[in-house]
Amino acid sequence: MSTMRLRRDPRTERAAHRIDGTARPRFDLAAAAETTGGRLRRNPRAEVERMLVAGTSRRRLDRSQRSVSTPLHIAAPAETAAAPRLIVIEEPAFLVAVVPDAPGGRLTPHDRQMIGAARLLAEKGGAVLALLAEPCEEIGPAGADRVLLVEASTGYDPEGRSASIAMAVDGLGVRHALFPESVDGGDIARRVAADLGEALFAGAESIAANAVTRASRGRRVEQRRAPPRLISLAADAALPYAGAPREARALQDDPMPTVPTRRAILAAEIIPADPARVPLGEAGFVVSAGNGVTDFDGFRAVAAALGATPGASRVVCDAGLMPRAAQVGASGTVLEATCYFALGIAGAPQHLQGIARCEHVVAVNTDLHAAMIERAGLAIVADAQKVMPALLAALECETETTA
Amino acid sequence: MKVTVLLSAGLHPVSGRPCPAAVELQAIRLAHTLGTPELTGLHAGPAADAVRDALGQGLPRLLWLETAVEDDPLAGLVAALATDRPDLILAGRQAQGADDSGLLPYALAKALGLPIIADAVAIEPAGEGAVHVVQALPRGARRRVTVRLPAVVTVHPAAPTALPFAFAAARRGTVERRAGQAALRSGAAIDERPYRKRPKLIAKAAAGASAADRLKAATESAAGGGRLLVDPAPDEAAREIIAHLRELGVLRR
Ligand SMILES: Cc1cc2nc3c(=O)[nH]c(=O)nc-3n(C[C@H](O)[C@H](O)[C@H](O)COP(=O)(O)OP(=O)(O)OC[C@H]3O[C@@H](n4cnc5c(N)ncnc54)[C@H](O)[C@@H]3O)c2cc1C
Repeated sequence: MSTMRLRRDPRTERAAHRIDGTARPRFDLAAAAETTGGRLRRNPRAEVERMLVAGTSRRRLDRSQRSVSTPLHIAAPAETAAAPRLIVIEEPAFLVAVVPDAPGGRLTPHDRQMIGAARLLAEKGGAVLALLAEPCEEIGPAGADRVLLVEASTGYDPEGRSASIAMAVDGLGVRHALFPESVDGGDIARRVAADLGEALFAGAESIAANAVTRASRGRRVEQRRAPPRLISLAADAALPYAGAPREARALQDDPMPTVPTRRAILAAEIIPADPARVPLGEAGFVVSAGNGVTDFDGFRAVAAALGATPGASRVVCDAGLMPRAAQVGASGTVLEATCYFALGIAGAPQHLQGIARCEHVVAVNTDLHAAMIERAGLAIVADAQKVMPALLAALECETETTA
Repeated sequence: MKVTVLLSAGLHPVSGRPCPAAVELQAIRLAHTLGTPELTGLHAGPAADAVRDALGQGLPRLLWLETAVEDDPLAGLVAALATDRPDLILAGRQAQGADDSGLLPYALAKALGLPIIADAVAIEPAGEGAVHVVQALPRGARRRVTVRLPAVVTVHPAAPTALPFAFAAARRGTVERRAGQAALRSGAAIDERPYRKRPKLIAKAAAGASAADRLKAATESAAGGGRLLVDPAPDEAAREIIAHLRELGVLRR
């Protein structure tokens, strides 16, 4: 015979949760559910509460399950917004160096992507070290844990700069060093590779902790391997870092010493681009005319006075009022400009595609409801025909006062 | 002036058949802008059929260092250039059909102890023993660098287009064949597979953001969320625009 099975006595269990001091019998069954070691139960109400998106007037649920188990408190988002938590890595297991171009101490989008890629390589306990030519404030929020100044001697001296970077990469035992495959970044990367006598994985098009790939043999073959020490990263191959800001602590108190070079470069001067002749796709500032512009001599004068490259919408190019090479949009040129100034352009989807990558847009249009007005950072509802001469006059007046 | 142009075994970007790399033909043209230099082409590789076409596009003489397929061309090139001692060594910015890393001119300059200037679009003589090299920078800007010779200069695709092909010149040109140096390529074996185009990663919203953030970012780019001025006087509009452009830093004056 078997021993007798232990049996539950629901009546005494229930009696244990009875709330004293009330005339009618009352039981605290919520506490009961937690204490009895029985089957785990879902609480759908609490789950929904956890999915609630804070800060919207309409009730919205985020079902992506990314937001982890912190139930919604109204005060919580305000706290985090006030002081974003700084991520500190005290004792990194290894270093991943990045060498941003950072012209004038400002990171380019390509630099940010590269730091994002470095974060992928530094995932398991590593720290990202930025080797900078000049101090840069944005580097911590962009994702760098450490910074080190490697100053080249004055003027254009890529040889000196690459020699000090090579010294830093070698001396600090950096596991990976990333460069942007840009004009100056690619040059420095190859110089460092030659200095270290190592191969460079040039123009990586995808990057992860276990493999990098690049095109070779005239883009017919894809090379793939575990990430080597020196990598240069093509543009738009990685996403920029989007997490909480990093510490950007100085690795040493004083910058890397400069390495004496032969100084074969006797002089260097920058020749600024002539905006009237730069290809539209390369231009940094484009002024564009649409169907709302009738005075094209005036328009060209405005473009010249602003120092901008002239562009146009398709209607204008079809009418032969501007050359076809000036057409902006899906069937024309896709711009890379920092600023786009649209005069009398409605903002058709085909046109907006061409300016999707422009950071700043200024629009002048008579129609308050034009899509271009909505897209613009500074939108002016006025007659372009009257604004253009006013612009010319204002610019002329400024040059007179400064002269 | 003695000028040597490094020629690689290129593949045509469309047909994939052997042909000289376009940017190296542009380098030959740049060499011609330096007056009448003593111009030589230098190629190391198993065959010279592809680069021979360069003889029709402005190159009078080609020196071919014959090596096996698996040899690293660097050692042979360094030896040849060390004995020949040209004043200026021109190369393309990147090969087109080999490893395409653009590293060879740098390794060569290091081995020869010469300075290297990248991305030239023009070269002008600058008195005795120096040249002005105009470099291509992004956004159409240029940088004029004065460098002491001898030097290595790589050429950018924005340089003037190559000279037209002339059949008679191609027949006249000479190819000198020499034995190259056997040198095994260093470096780890790399896995190779047919090329697959990868989508460009454009950060619309920050990676890892919640769905709500992504939606916000997607709709925000359509609406600049900027300032709107309705029917201002033209002068006021002009002042606002100039002030705004100046704030963005695009107005130079
Ligand atoms: C397959 C296809 C491809 C296309 N590709 C392109 C392309 O690459 N690029 C392109 O631009 N278009 C392209 N288009 C055409 C596009 O759809 C639009 O027709 C075109 O962009 C409209 O140009 P617009 O804004 O200058 O002219 P309109 O649509 O006529 O707009 C004129 C605007 O000017 C305003 N205006 C009028 N008078 C004044 C004034 N005095 N002062 C100020 N504002 C004034 C009006 O309010 C209006 O908003 C394409 C179309 C198709 C079908």
